[in-house]
Amino acid sequence: MKIAVMQFPGTNCEHETLVAVKAVGMDGEIFRWNRSEGELSGFDGFFIPGGFSYQDRIRAGVIASKEPVMQALLEEAAKGKPIVGICNGFQILVESGLLPGTGKIDMALAQNVMVSKGKIVRRGYYCDWVNLRHDAPSKRCSGSFIMEQGSLLKIPIAHGEGNLVTTTPKLIERLNEQEQVVFRYCDRNGRVINEFPVNVNGSTQSIAAICNPEGNVLGMMPHPERSFFAWQLPSFDPRKQRPDAAGPGRRIFESVKRYIEVSA
Amino acid sequence: MNCMGATVVATADPLRFGDPFGPKANKVRWVAEGVVDGIWQYGNALGVPNMAGDIVFNESFDDNCLVNVVSLGIVRRDQIIRSRAPPAAGEGGYDVILIGKPTDSSGLGGVTFASEALREEDEETNRGAVQIPDPFLKNVLFKANDDLFRLVREEGIEIGFKDLGGGGFTCATSEMGAAGGFGMEINLDDLHKADDFPPEVLSIAETQERFLIVSPPELRERILKIYNEHWDLPNVYEGARASVVGKINTGDRFTVSHKGEIVCDVPIQHLTGGIRYQREEKARVIELTEPDIPEPADYNQVLLKILKSPNIASREHVYRYYDTEVMGNTVIRPGEADAGLIAPVRGENFGVALAVDSNPFYGRISPYWGGATAVAEAMRNVAAIGAVPSTVTDCLNYGNPEKPEAFWEFREGVKGLSQACKDLWLKGHMGQAVPIVSGNVSFYNESPQGSVDPSPVIACVGIIKDIGKAITQELKAAGDKLFLIGPRFDELGGSEYYKTIFNVTGANVPIVRFDLERNMIYAVIDAIDEGLLAAAHDISNGGLAATVSEMALTRPAKLGFEIDLEKALGIGASASMRTDKILFSESSGFVLEAKPGKEERLLEILRGYCLDPMEIGIVTKKRRIVMKRASETVADIDLDEARAAWTSGLAEAMR
Repeated sequence: MKIAVMQFPGTNCEHETLVAVKAVGMDGEIFRWNRSEGELSGFDGFFIPGGFSYQDRIRAGVIASKEPVMQALLEEAAKGKPIVGICNGFQILVESGLLPGTGKIDMALAQNVMVSKGKIVRRGYYCDWVNLRHDAPSKRCSGSFIMEQGSLLKIPIAHGEGNLVTTTPKLIERLNEQEQVVFRYCDRNGRVINEFPVNVNGSTQSIAAICNPEGNVLGMMPHPERSFFAWQLPSFDPRKQRPDAAGPGRRIFESVKRYIEVSA
Repeated sequence: MNCMGATVVATADPLRFGDPFGPKANKVRWVAEGVVDGIWQYGNALGVPNMAGDIVFNESFDDNCLVNVVSLGIVRRDQIIRSRAPPAAGEGGYDVILIGKPTDSSGLGGVTFASEALREEDEETNRGAVQIPDPFLKNVLFKANDDLFRLVREEGIEIGFKDLGGGGFTCATSEMGAAGGFGMEINLDDLHKADDFPPEVLSIAETQERFLIVSPPELRERILKIYNEHWDLPNVYEGARASVVGKINTGDRFTVSHKGEIVCDVPIQHLTGGIRYQREEKARVIELTEPDIPEPADYNQVLLKILKSPNIASREHVYRYYDTEVMGNTVIRPGEADAGLIAPVRGENFGVALAVDSNPFYGRISPYWGGATAVAEAMRNVAAIGAVPSTVTDCLNYGNPEKPEAFWEFREGVKGLSQACKDLWLKGHMGQAVPIVSGNVSFYNESPQGSVDPSPVIACVGIIKDIGKAITQELKAAGDKLFLIGPRFDELGGSEYYKTIFNVTGANVPIVRFDLERNMIYAVIDAIDEGLLAAAHDISNGGLAATVSEMALTRPAKLGFEIDLEKALGIGASASMRTDKILFSESSGFVLEAKPGKEERLLEILRGYCLDPMEIGIVTKKRRIVMKRASETVADIDLDEARAAWTSGLAEAMR
């Protein structure tokens, strides 16, 4: 089982993502953007890690999405292989048309706008730990394959543009109906409150992650590789006291592994 | 850092801005927000976590802010790459290779500009001297450099490698050659450049994101390939690439040609040898008196005002802009404790702590104690999470050294740093000073309105063997007992209380009692190592009152406390000490939350270090800040009200 961790100029989370891939028992390597795209077919799954690919020139993710490797990745996606885009990786997937999966650029990850009691209290980049609720059924999506519906995930975000918006009529309804909304921001009891700080970036309906209609492609703003070990958790989380234990984000990587095993 | 072959694993950013409520408030706020934007936009894109920092506002920085950034790298001792031409470079006719951004005219005279007293009318002229950084290109270059380092390790070949900084191309080339004892020929026509600039511009422009390699000719093609093909610099960034620009020789001259003409031919040592100055020093005469102030009637209001002061308030407004999690090494992040902690080597249990400190108000009263207290506090910060202070670095920010008073301040500050590093020696190595391994001096921080307060900014790095033992500052469990170490002295000179409540400076600056300080630091480290403490926080700005309040206010902020100030009167304190002095004296110390059942052992350790532990109170389930003296209530504040003040203070000062 071999995973490619994609690397574009400006990517900055590839090493810790590879650590997480290997820690759940998958084989993996970092795949530089200008390697021969034909080599991609030799991999069983793909992570597009976070960072600032091509400096966020024009819009976050847009230039990377035009690279030949992304065209090749589209073909691998069509074969049903799992692809998980994290943070800037999610932005690249949206710009490439892989998410929400209509083949078009149907939505955008816009600048964060933190709204509380009807007022904008802050804008832009934000780094903090948040809670996610898994809203898709178990086995619906590659990157959350082993997670029960309604289960919670403590995980950090660090982005300036994660505010999911769309002007396409009924797109959000369709995502909800087809169970493509994989994670929403919630409080520590799982309640979705569409206000800062629970909705940390102003995203429509507190959406933090979506998948394509087939479920093999997942895009998420939060960083599971940064909550992979319990020692990475914030000090007020009781699980921090067991530093050798697994962190909540590990389940994303275990899900991909399970998904590949099941699809084989 | 990267040029030593190291991976950069953390940064910290001590910042000093003017008075956000003073006559230059608008400019101060614009500068403060702009600096923070610059730091996050660069650091986040580069992909290095920001693990610590501090911000101090005071009017001496109205016209001259200070932006110090420290970065921490990790490298195996046997893989350090030197910034000099290696011994074989002369005989071997080694290449001089320039990599990175095309040389342009930006940052022309940059360091010289930064070292001049600023005058408003020169703003337009000075603008060209500002260097323009690009984190994106730096990120790609770092990765390409890693491939270079791997190549030379595999080949077992020594190279020289250096970052182009102040003085640009000329400075980096001549220093590399001179450090190896060789001469060098440079051809400026071979430089990749943004335009056809005159030779003097190409030589000294401070274009960012450039590095210099001195390497043997047999590696030339492979090195060029790493940068120009694998990492595709020419397509990633317009005009960027690696170019061979010169050769090392066994001579002693630095020769530069441009369009067929020799434009420079000098003995190389002339370019790099230092100049010795004779500076005069004269003690600055400072009129200082302790104020005669009435004791406040309402301590609730006083405490709320102090918690909201921009120098005490939560730093959250700023550190939420910083990626504190990238690299996935973060164990303790800003806001959780006095120091940040990373676990930079996967599979290893050790952690590296980082904290920064310097109090300009103390430096104003006494440049010597300003230096010594900065070292002591940075070490306390690291110890408060359980790490052993292991090394120190400094950025010494002062006014114009040609003025005898400014030079005196500088000397006094250095004496204070040096004394503190000697007398707070390395734990386990009695008498052996904590080393200052690197540093930076920044003079001429002044405008016609005067110079900045003496600001020897200190960063302390600590090591903890097991990250699982590290602790944070927030209160952990109701019923836990709170202990104070470090007696309260009448030391409110430069204190937050004096300035915020009475707008006076005072005279009695906190001093470092070296034996007491060292014993406190060691005792806290030992207690954490034995697992006796649930939380610890060092006492500094705002005194005991702010310190213990912050322990309750730090997330998740679910618990309150009740303390008795009468019990905070240790052996060193006078029993008649006024309540405000007990609360707000900034004498050094720690507040410790003991784990239940561990109190006896804790007391044993503290007394073993000749300390006088004071059991001052208890953590309560009731979410209130309660301070009494004997049976009389001094302050009693709802935690949410206090938190609202504490979390809004910084945002209101910066927006």
